[in-house]
Amino acid sequence: MTHPKSEETMGKDDIVNNRTSRRNFLKGLSIAAAAGSATLMTGCIPDVSNASSEELKLKWQEFFKKNYRLMTQEEKNATVNRLEKLAHLRDGLDVQISSQAPRDNVLYGYAFNITRCEGFMECVTACIKENNLDRKTDTQYIRVFEMEPGQLDPSTGNGKFYHEVPVENKFYMATQCFHCENAPCTKACPTKATWREPDGIVVVDYEWCIGCRYCQAACPYFGRRFNWGKPEIPKEEINTKQHYLGNRIRPKGKMEKCTFCVQRTREGKLPACVEACPTGARVFGNLLDPDSEIRFVLKHKKVFRMKEELGTDPKFWYFID
Amino acid sequence: MQSASRNGFGAFLYDVFRWNLQGGLGLQIYRLLLIAGMLAGLYAYSFQAQHGLAVTGMNDIVSWGLYISNFTFLVGVAAAAVMLILPAYVFHDPGFHRVVIIGEGVAVGALVMCLTFIMVDLGGPLQAWHLIPGIGLFNFPSSILAWDVLVLNGYLLLNALVPLYILYNHYHGRKADEKKYRPFVFLSIFWAFSIHMVTAFLYQGLPARPFWNNPLMGPRFLASAFAAGPALITLILAIIHNVTNYKIVRQVFNKLRLIIVVSAIINLIMLFSEIFKEFYFPTHHSISAVYLFFGLDGHDALVPWIWTSIGVNLFATLILAFNPGKNNPRILLPAAGMLFIAIWMEKGIGLIVPGLIPSPLGEVVDYLPSWVELCVTLGVFCLGLTVVTFLIRAALIIEDRYEQKH
Amino acid sequence: MKLSTLINRLYHPEISTSALCTATGAFAVLLLWFPTALFASGGTTVLDRIDKATEPYDNNTIESVQPLNDETVLARERYQGGTFRVLARKKQIVRFRCSNCHNDKPVTVKAGAQLTHGDIQLSHGQPGSLACIDCHHPEKRDFLEDKKGNTIDLDHSYQLCGQCHFRQKSDWVGGAHGKRAEYWAGERVVFNCTSCHNPHSPRFEKRFPATYSPASIERGSYDSPEK
Repeated sequence: MTHPKSEETMGKDDIVNNRTSRRNFLKGLSIAAAAGSATLMTGCIPDVSNASSEELKLKWQEFFKKNYRLMTQEEKNATVNRLEKLAHLRDGLDVQISSQAPRDNVLYGYAFNITRCEGFMECVTACIKENNLDRKTDTQYIRVFEMEPGQLDPSTGNGKFYHEVPVENKFYMATQCFHCENAPCTKACPTKATWREPDGIVVVDYEWCIGCRYCQAACPYFGRRFNWGKPEIPKEEINTKQHYLGNRIRPKGKMEKCTFCVQRTREGKLPACVEACPTGARVFGNLLDPDSEIRFVLKHKKVFRMKEELGTDPKFWYFID
Repeated sequence: MQSASRNGFGAFLYDVFRWNLQGGLGLQIYRLLLIAGMLAGLYAYSFQAQHGLAVTGMNDIVSWGLYISNFTFLVGVAAAAVMLILPAYVFHDPGFHRVVIIGEGVAVGALVMCLTFIMVDLGGPLQAWHLIPGIGLFNFPSSILAWDVLVLNGYLLLNALVPLYILYNHYHGRKADEKKYRPFVFLSIFWAFSIHMVTAFLYQGLPARPFWNNPLMGPRFLASAFAAGPALITLILAIIHNVTNYKIVRQVFNKLRLIIVVSAIINLIMLFSEIFKEFYFPTHHSISAVYLFFGLDGHDALVPWIWTSIGVNLFATLILAFNPGKNNPRILLPAAGMLFIAIWMEKGIGLIVPGLIPSPLGEVVDYLPSWVELCVTLGVFCLGLTVVTFLIRAALIIEDRYEQKH
Repeated sequence: MKLSTLINRLYHPEISTSALCTATGAFAVLLLWFPTALFASGGTTVLDRIDKATEPYDNNTIESVQPLNDETVLARERYQGGTFRVLARKKQIVRFRCSNCHNDKPVTVKAGAQLTHGDIQLSHGQPGSLACIDCHHPEKRDFLEDKKGNTIDLDHSYQLCGQCHFRQKSDWVGGAHGKRAEYWAGERVVFNCTSCHNPHSPRFEKRFPATYSPASIERGSYDSPEK
C-alpha cells in the first residue's frame, strides 16, 4: 500500500478511489459523531431550555438514585422531597407525596360480588380520578365486562359496553391487578423494578423501571398499563395526595398498575373503587385479621379466583351471593 | 508493509478503519445508502424518544411489535454462526475454515442489531444502567430477560474477541496460537445453542401466553435459526465470492445447502406438530393460533402474512432439498433468500404479535407498525449491515494478505 | 466419512474439556437456581397464611383513621369482631319527625298532596303485596314495627329489613353485603340498609354507566381520532 498523498497532490484518480488522508478521515468521523449524538440528545433529553438550574440539579439527583426498596428512610424522604419540588417547579403543583411504609400484620385482600355488580362503572371513574390516570389515552386500571350467564371467562364477555345497565340475563364482572402472591410479573422484571411489598401490594418503582414491558407480557390478567406517552391530566383534576409507589404522576415510558390505592389503604382508608361502588359489590380488608369482612367472605361464600390453574395465587376473589 | 512498523494495535485499528473508507464506486454507493438508512433511523428514533413509544403502533395489548420481532429473529441469525464453526473446528473441514471468520462477523453484526433493537424498544433507555449488576439491580436468576442480557453479551464478546485475536496476529504476519483460542471456540459452540434457547425461554416461560407456553419453542427456534442463518450466510458468501478476490470453494456451498435443508425440514416438522396441537382439538388456548391462521372477529391482518410465509418456506425448502439444476447458484441463491425471508416473517411478526393477541382478557386487536417503527428498523438493519461489512472487509483483506504470505 | 474417522475427529481434549466445563457450569447454575425459583414466593400460599392468621388484629394501630363526619349509632347486632357502628339515617330523612304531623292535634296542611306522601311509589316485592302499615308502626309513627310486634328505631331499620331479607342481613352483619364507610381500619362503621336502598323502592334503578372502555385502548394513543 502506498503512502497516502497529502491533500494538495490528490488527483482525479485518488478522488474516484476515495483515498483519504488521515486528517480528512478524522474530520469526517468527528462530524458524523457530533451529528449523530446531537440528534440523539435532542430526542432523549427533555427540553432543557426552560429548566432552571435547581430543576436540573433535582433531576440529576433523581436520575442516580437507588431502587426504592433499597433506600433507607432518609433516602426515601429525600427522594419524595425532590419529587414534590420538581412537581412544583415543572407544573406549578403543590403535592404531598407520602413514603408511608407498609403497616404491620396487614395483608390486603379483595373480594368482588358478581351478583351485586350492575355494571355502573363508578369504580372506573373513581379510580381514574384518584390515581391520576392519563386522560389522553383513557387509561383504566379496572375493566368491567358484561357477561353471558353460563361462562365465567371475561374473554367471552363484552368489555366495551355502553348502554343502560343492568341488562337482563347478563351479569357483570370487573378485573384489575389482582396482586398475586406468586406474581409472574415480579419474577419477569429484569431490574427488580416491581415487587410485592410486605403488605401484599405489588408495586412499581417508576424511576427504576426501564420500560421493557416484560412484566406486561407476563401478566395473565391484563393488570398492567404502560405509559406510551407523557400522561396528561387536567390540572384541576389532579389528586395531590400521592404516594411514591402509588398515584403520583408517572413519567413517560414506565409501567404502572393498580396499587390497591396504596396512598389510601396505608392510611386505613378503603381503595377508591370500593368506596365508589354504589351497590357494595366490592369488599376490602386485612386478610390477617380473622374478624375482617374479607375473611368473612372467604369463609362463608363460594369464592373463586380467575385463572386459578396458573398458580399465581391472587389476592382478589370473586363470589356470588 | 509500512504499517507493520508502526505501533501494533494502533496501526491495526487505523488500517481497519482506513480500509473501510476506501473501495470501489459500488462499495461507496452501498456505504452511502447505509448511512442514509441509519440517519433516517436516527431521526425516527429521536422523534420516538421525544414523544414516547406512543408514536409506534404498539399499545397495552400488543405491547411488543416490530422491534422485538426483529430482535427474536436476529438472535437466531447470530446463533447460526455455529453452523460454520462446527464443520470447521470439529470436523476440520478446510473449506469451512476459510469462511468461519465471515460467520463470526455476521454473528457480531446480528448481535449488535439485537442489542440495538432492545434499546430502541425500551421506554426508559436512559435507565438501562439499572441492569448492570453491582451498580443497578439485576434480577438473576429469576428473570429470563436477565439471563438473556448475560448470554447475549457473553456471546458478543466471544465472537468479537476470538476473531480479533486471530486477525490481529494475521495482520502482523504471525500465526495465531490455536491452543489459546480453541477452548473459546468450543465454548461458543455451546453458547450459540444457549443464546437461542434462552431467548426462546423468554416467551416459553410465560404462562399468561398459551401461544408461547409450549415446550417446542426452544427447539423450534434452533431449527429455524439453523435454516435462516446459514441461508443468509450462503448469500453473503456468494456476494463475497463474486465481488471480492476471496474465493470460496463449491463444497462449502453444497454443505451449507445440506445444513439448511435438514434444519428447514426439522422446522417444518415442528410447525406441523404445533398446528396439530392447536387445531386437532382446539381449546381456549388455541385462540391465538386461530387469530394467526384464520383471523378472529373480523381481525385478520396476519392471515395473508403467515400463509405467504409458510408457502414460501415450503417452496424454498423443496427447491433446496431436491436441488433442481444440480447446485446451480441461480436457483439455489434465490431459494436461500426466499427461505430467509419466509422464516423472518414467521419467527418475527408471525410469532410475537399473535402471542399477544387476544389480550389475557380476550380482546382482539390488529397491529400495524407505524412509520417510526419502520424507519428505526431500517436504521438498525443498516447499522447491522455496516458492522458486518466493516468486519468482513477488514477480515478478508487481512486473511488474503496472510494467505499470500504463507 | 467412516464412523471411526468421525469419532477420531470428534474426540479432542478441547471438546471434552470445554463440554465438561459448560456442563458443570450449567449444572451448578441449575442447582443454585432451582431452590431459589421454587421458594421464590416464600413457599406459602395466601390461603396458608390466612389459615395461620388466627390472632385478632388490633384495628386501632393506624393513627390516620379519623372519626367520621357523619353521625353513627352503635349497631344492635354483633359481628365476628364484636360491636360495630352504623350510619345514622334519621337526619337524612326529609320529613322526620313523622309525629310532627301524625299526632292527636289537628294539623293545617298547606301543600297537601306532597305532604301526604302522595309522591311515594311503593315498589317493594310483588305488586300489591306490601302496604305502608306492613313496616310502619300504626301508633308510634316515628318508628317501624316488625311482624312480631317489636318497635324498631329508624336508625336500626336493618332489624326490620332482616326479618324477610335474613340472608342479606346476616351477610351485611358479617361484611359480605353492603359497604364500610371510608375506612377498612379502625372501628367498623357500615352503611345502613337505607343508605343505599330506598325502602319504598329498594331495587337499584337502571342507568347509564359512569364511563366506558373506549376503543382507544387498542389503538396507539398518538393517532387517536377522538383526540
